[in-house]
Amino acid sequence: MKMYLPPPGSKPSRRGVLKKGLLGGALLALGGGAFLFTRKSVEVEPPADGLKVLTAREFAVLTSLSYRLLPRREGFPTVELVQVARGCDRILTLVDPTALTETKQLLVLLENALPNFLFGRRAATFTTMSTDDQDAVLSEWQHSRITVRRSGFTALRSLVMAAYFSSDTTWPGLGYPGPQPGIYDPNAPVWKGNGAERPLGNGTFLPPPAPAAVDGGTP
Amino acid sequence: MSGRIFTGDELTRDLTVECDVCVIGSGAGGAWTAHELVKQGKTVVMLEEGGYHTRREFDMTEPRAFQNLYQELGNRAADDQSITILQGRSVGGGTTVNWCSSFRTPERILKVWRERHGIDTLSAATLTPHWEAVEQRLRIATWPQEMMNANNKVLWEGLGALGYERGLIRRNVNNCLNLGYCGLGCPVDAKQSMLVTVIPDAVEQGLTVYANTSARVLDWDGRRVTAVRAEVIDDATRKPTGVKVVVKPKLTVVSGGAINSPGLLMRSQLLSEGRVGEKTWFHPVLMMMGLFEHEVNAFHGAPQSVYSHHFIERGPGKMGYFLEVPPVQPMLASTVLTGTGPETLELMAKLKHLNVMLAIHVDGLLPDEEGGTVRLRDGAHSRYAIKYGFTPAHWEAFRSSCKEMAKLQFAAGAKQVRSLHLSPVTLDSAAEVDKLDDAKWEAMQVRVATAHQMGGCRMGKDPATSVVDPHLKYHSLDNLFVVDGSVFPTSLGVNPQETIFGIARWAATHIGQAV
Repeated sequence: MKMYLPPPGSKPSRRGVLKKGLLGGALLALGGGAFLFTRKSVEVEPPADGLKVLTAREFAVLTSLSYRLLPRREGFPTVELVQVARGCDRILTLVDPTALTETKQLLVLLENALPNFLFGRRAATFTTMSTDDQDAVLSEWQHSRITVRRSGFTALRSLVMAAYFSSDTTWPGLGYPGPQPGIYDPNAPVWKGNGAERPLGNGTFLPPPAPAAVDGGTP
Repeated sequence: MSGRIFTGDELTRDLTVECDVCVIGSGAGGAWTAHELVKQGKTVVMLEEGGYHTRREFDMTEPRAFQNLYQELGNRAADDQSITILQGRSVGGGTTVNWCSSFRTPERILKVWRERHGIDTLSAATLTPHWEAVEQRLRIATWPQEMMNANNKVLWEGLGALGYERGLIRRNVNNCLNLGYCGLGCPVDAKQSMLVTVIPDAVEQGLTVYANTSARVLDWDGRRVTAVRAEVIDDATRKPTGVKVVVKPKLTVVSGGAINSPGLLMRSQLLSEGRVGEKTWFHPVLMMMGLFEHEVNAFHGAPQSVYSHHFIERGPGKMGYFLEVPPVQPMLASTVLTGTGPETLELMAKLKHLNVMLAIHVDGLLPDEEGGTVRLRDGAHSRYAIKYGFTPAHWEAFRSSCKEMAKLQFAAGAKQVRSLHLSPVTLDSAAEVDKLDDAKWEAMQVRVATAHQMGGCRMGKDPATSVVDPHLKYHSLDNLFVVDGSVFPTSLGVNPQETIFGIARWAATHIGQAV
């Protein structure tokens, strides 16, 4: 069997974003159980209708993350108004179980004080840092020489952006008018066969009519 | 005889079904195959993992569309996130969400397949009658230049100003309102996707479709597939309901597309000595963003109507690419853009003025390319371990294409052009394009995406180097065929749907004879 060869300089990837070679494994270990993780996280009020898949601590990390990725800007709704972290929780209910697990691991890794201390000499959890330190940590992830941190940054960023810009309350700030009105029909017929007549529409096809017979051509 | 479309909510008890042919997947390949087989009088059952979503739900909003119509909610990606993979998942497959671009297979690609892979069954002459039939049914025609949106006009005018080859794209639409939401499901059924054309045509003639039904494994014994074991998926939660569907066909056609078709074969221990899932081609896409004084409103209007193949052949050892544009709607744009904090919002606030250009790279033609590899992932249901091997030729082509896109954007009047690197390169004039040479050209330093997945079950004459034979039959089984983009031994250099349509319609003749 011919084996896949990774490009020069890359590390073999066996199981997702986080599990990439020794360094990835070490980062996971740091994120999962080191003593500095016992340091407190900021407590954040959970959404009124509860959390579906995230823990309170993971929710707090996502809340802090969304504040930094989406700072206040005139014309745009706040992350509180859009409930970005709650939106992330709801998106994560629909993803593959392995993707949920990895997202949770990433949030733990981001929050954990030990890697933050080792990489940036900041002996605090992400949620308890100053906003300047949070920005610095995110920048370190974004520009890290370690692929797993860049990958993790991209994954978390995409999640937060999707949760925020899925809201139509962001459209005025974008100058986006939204879909053209009067087009979408929530009562359009749904045809499932079973002997029912198929409604005529743009998808139905009538073959072009056969040319009319020309009279007088026959002897 | 009328068939029927069943959805997951109707499938509340375990079910065993017998039929002539089980087609797994309802996209470009599965739909045309099933259509032709029911016309031949075969009893055909189609299984589709995604839901049966119709224009009643196509409200042109991104959250609803990405949840209902895309694999992994649009978040499918290579393991290291180095490539974002947009792939359809609903009745109609990718045709429900693609941007309608329709090209016949280039002769030079068929020649490569013939000369390097021994595929002597496919030629322009063989496929032309099928393309003609497909083009008539799906109303494939050139999109009128006067209907071109401003985003495409940037590409058109840039190409004209620089004297590069350019063309108008043919689209599969009927009574198109030029809305721009092809990627979110057409709200008026103008897009001639499989969802509204060939599948209902086939249902009228007896096809039975089980939507929300995920084929998990093929049972096989000796040289024959004996059953397809599937499970019903709850459309709202995407979790299995516990209801099982077993199909016992005389012949099975796997049409789940690149990634999912290899996945099903691998779950079934049909590995072809490891070749299944190998040499997956992605047409890797690089993007450049142009900022214009005037409004571009790239979120509205037919998404793709202009192309250029000016750089499709760049000489020995070099990877070619072709140029098109995408629609730019808020959620997808925000996830693709790079940058954080105020930088992101600053860019997003200029959404109306943004043009995005695509360079789509033709992978699989150079000798050293391994492409992507798809493998099963422990504990996953719909997610795979996906890797992609970038080569120096990729990075050379990416750098070249980004520079050319920047030149085109400036030639069309852009005030500023920006790359999608994690540390973006910002250019203020065409004279600055060489600044891109200093950018980091490596995985996870620049955004790469794919909307065209091919390969993974490549066809070829030699069973030692391919998965299916030149008639698309799995080499070591007599009643298993693969009919979708996964059989391509290379990528195409054009948007793939019409190639898949044509090959499926062609293959249905001998598949019917094999039942």
